[in-house]
Amino acid sequence: MHSDHELMVAVSRGDIQAMSELYQRRHRSVFRFFFRLTGRQAVSEDLVHDVFVRMLRYRQTYNAGDSFDAWMYRIARNALADQARKHRLETPAEAHAIETVESDRPDPFDMYAKQQDLALLHRAIRELPDDKRELIVLSRFQGLSYEQIGQIVGAETGTVKVRVFRAMKEMSGIYAGLLREKAL
Amino acid sequence: MMCGWAKEQIAASWMYTSGSGELEPGDQAKLRHHLAECAECAEEMAQLTGMWERLADLPAPEPGLGLQLRWEATLESLGGAPGGKRRTPEAWRFSLAALWPQRPVWQAGIALACLVVGLAVGGRWQGSAKSEIAALREEVANTKEMVALSLLREQSPSERLRGVDYSARMPRIEPEVVTALIRAVNQDTSVNVRLAAIDALSRASGQPQVRRSLEQALDRQESPTVQAALIGYLVETRDQQALGALRQFSKRPDLEATIRERAGRATQQLTEFK
Repeated sequence: MHSDHELMVAVSRGDIQAMSELYQRRHRSVFRFFFRLTGRQAVSEDLVHDVFVRMLRYRQTYNAGDSFDAWMYRIARNALADQARKHRLETPAEAHAIETVESDRPDPFDMYAKQQDLALLHRAIRELPDDKRELIVLSRFQGLSYEQIGQIVGAETGTVKVRVFRAMKEMSGIYAGLLREKAL
Repeated sequence: MMCGWAKEQIAASWMYTSGSGELEPGDQAKLRHHLAECAECAEEMAQLTGMWERLADLPAPEPGLGLQLRWEATLESLGGAPGGKRRTPEAWRFSLAALWPQRPVWQAGIALACLVVGLAVGGRWQGSAKSEIAALREEVANTKEMVALSLLREQSPSERLRGVDYSARMPRIEPEVVTALIRAVNQDTSVNVRLAAIDALSRASGQPQVRRSLEQALDRQESPTVQAALIGYLVETRDQQALGALRQFSKRPDLEATIRERAGRATQQLTEFK
């Protein structure tokens, strides 16, 4: 079983078929990264495709000393930035991801309450500024370490930790505001 | 000073609970000690850690089926599809040239043979062409139906919208698709999908069972937008049988004034069509 890094090294040496394996392993997580940032299914799918095509196009820039995740997410961020430049992304009002929350608890009231809570959390993330939302997505949902995030966003590990803390605090404030709004 | 350090460590402790273990054991003890002394940091830690953990409950979105196919097509065009081997255009040219005879007599012979075979096959084909085209069309329609039905079952509202759109573009709406669209009008969680399904069903308004289903759907709707769309649909069908459903609907106590007014106007319009 080859690591993602080994597969990408093979791709960079001309083994295009290794890209197929990499795609199978990583396209879902790249899709989730984009979906959580844009909230839009079709845009996220286009971006995933773009990222893997870019990985092929720029395969020779992959350095054996690089972290695969850092390299891939840098490409993903560039793809998103280019996309945003081309089409100003709208902030979707709908909460796609929260409509089908599954719970182990069959009590309808609990399920409803949980769904409502998740809807608020989802909105709180959506209302964060892009850079803060990105940090939460990378750290909480994409399973990256602060060191890897630092390599992606070009910051020291300590700085990333503080920024993630601040992003969480801001989100918590937004969430509290939404809760109050709902209670009125 | 210490609070600034604690914030970093609190963020590191989230990764620790996520399993990546970014908090050193020494720092862990130091942080515990600080939290015991600093109420503000302790409160932030409790509040934000709770939120961090709850974020894990947000469902993970999934890409649509088309993405994989699109990628495979791209990879295939680059010669990287699994099991595939890339052939350069030069290689193709070379292999085809090798098959072509060099002597003009043979070349003319092959050309003549192709003409004869073409005429013979063409003559036969013309007879069966119509039925083959019909069969192909049928097959395409079946495939479209399958795609529409499968998209209508997707979790993402945008995918379901695509499913409705797909069914609206089909040459005719098959009964299974009609059933799925009616189900969408009655049960879909997205107002947009419900509205699109009503619109798509307008093509099937010639079917009495579709009209009856949408009459019944009217009473189930909570969204004023969907209610308005259904009232519009019922007026357009000019079906007198919808009068009962509209009158019943107008009596609902929870209706918005504009919707009640619209339902009253629709009842009047339908009565005038008599």
